[in-house]
Amino acid sequence: MDALHTIHGIVARDLRRAGRQKSRLVGGLARPFMWLILVGTGYNSITTVEGSVSYYAFVYPGLVVMAALFGAMLTAISTVYDREFGMLRLMLSSPSGVYAVLTGRAVSATLVGALQGAVVLLTLPIFLPVTLAQMLAALGVLMVGAAVSGTMGLLVAAPLRSVENFAGVINVVLFPLFFLSGALYPTAGMPLWARVASQLNPVTYAVDMMRGALGQPVEFCVWRSLGALGMALVVTFVGSALLFDPERRFVLKGRGGKP
Amino acid sequence: MTNIEDRDIENKEPAIQADGLGRDYGEVRALEGLDLHVPRGSLVGLLGPNGAGKTTAMLLLATLLRPSRGVARVFGHDCASEPTAVRRRLGLAFHEASIDGLLTVEENLYFAARLAGLGGATANQAVRDALARTGLEGRAKQPARQLSAGWRRLADIARATLHSPDLLILDEPTVGLDPEHREQTWQLLETERRTRHTSILFSTHYLAEAESCDHVVLLANGRVVSTGTPAALKASVGAEMVEVEGAGASRFVSALSDRVTVRTQIQTTRGFRVGVEGSRDELAGLASVGSGVDRFSIRPVTLDDVYFARALTPVSPVPGTST
Repeated sequence: MDALHTIHGIVARDLRRAGRQKSRLVGGLARPFMWLILVGTGYNSITTVEGSVSYYAFVYPGLVVMAALFGAMLTAISTVYDREFGMLRLMLSSPSGVYAVLTGRAVSATLVGALQGAVVLLTLPIFLPVTLAQMLAALGVLMVGAAVSGTMGLLVAAPLRSVENFAGVINVVLFPLFFLSGALYPTAGMPLWARVASQLNPVTYAVDMMRGALGQPVEFCVWRSLGALGMALVVTFVGSALLFDPERRFVLKGRGGKP
Repeated sequence: MTNIEDRDIENKEPAIQADGLGRDYGEVRALEGLDLHVPRGSLVGLLGPNGAGKTTAMLLLATLLRPSRGVARVFGHDCASEPTAVRRRLGLAFHEASIDGLLTVEENLYFAARLAGLGGATANQAVRDALARTGLEGRAKQPARQLSAGWRRLADIARATLHSPDLLILDEPTVGLDPEHREQTWQLLETERRTRHTSILFSTHYLAEAESCDHVVLLANGRVVSTGTPAALKASVGAEMVEVEGAGASRFVSALSDRVTVRTQIQTTRGFRVGVEGSRDELAGLASVGSGVDRFSIRPVTLDDVYFARALTPVSPVPGTST
């Protein structure tokens, strides 16, 4: 019961914070639309992707995932702000323990990411024909993709000690995850190293499932994608818990810093 | 929930019992070995210069760090192996107020209530009580970032106490506050002690705040250098403190030791502070002892004197106090 209260408290706090950081929400939504309008329009006029009707159709699922990826990961990575300003220490001193704290954080990151992705998804009928069933399936994929993005964000935040690293994380982690996901261009034509990296990248499977949900050709079967995303969820969550828990971090590293 | 056997243990155990508690950060020994006994309902001050190990000791007791050596028990529960049981009894306030500026005061308190495992009507009541206790009712809907430092700290104390903890661990709870808010903070904490019999362990750099402690522990370089009641610690430094300044201060202090019992000698930038035994009348006659003394005064010993004598200079043990 304690754990449920803790998760409730963290989710309520994070959603309030997200709702009050309007510039961050607007920025998160502007990113996929900018890509769609500024870059997509250019590519759309010069190329089509095999199996897709247009570059718009090809890139749209990726942009939905992009909104969820950035929204969820940045919400989760904001844990580093909490560390710097003492709120994380408060949370970790809760009797519920580190797993409840991280579950709360992961749930709120998932909700924020899924909400941002849903806004992009809801504009899809303006650009492309889509059925209600496809939209509902896409919403399901969106939730899974946002959840994995959230736990990946927690894993990234775990070793960070300062908000000064935040911009670097976006460049070094978020953009490579997105660019190597097949969201913007098919992975088939990439060099071997990029194809291998793409297949190790959980975002690839979220994008592929999103394509399938929206009636486009897919590269992987749905079970493989679900398995990869499920594995990524578990590994990143447990990894985060090990790194966030001050006692376990001490055991792992042989020494530890102040939480 | 604690079972009957657990409660039986808890009823006999002190709020804190630490034996040889120590912590290293890599090669650095942040806390050498702390022996600490905090009886139930007592107010204990942890004093010492920056880097003495105060915060590390508090983090260990709050189960946020694992000790490198020694053991600590909170109401009989081992901090290392029973962190959940320990955390249920604790209220914590850190050096910086753990208040989210984007939330209102009330939302911050609800957040804290949930973290403490409170929900529904219990959480509502706890938040209402905390707001009333701290005088924050009128600011409940105000975003916390709009609060002054003083009100922010009071909100932090409201947060730390809203779940009625049995032990409060407060790391410099009044740092940066004006005298009025310092006074308010201490009144709140005193009310907690009186009405709930809450035990309090705190650190501070305002040594006058430690005067009302039941017990004071002085740390320096990760070690306990002195411990006792404020009165005993002050008595260990001397009955009175003589302050002398001027070119002849050094000669004066040498001459002084021939006439009275000198307990402590602290060199300052302009002269000396000397802790001595003897009545004030007897000591007043010493003013004529030496020449070249610009200033001579006699005043009661304070905890600041104890701090300078024990924490900043090496000392030999003084009878009457444990070191």
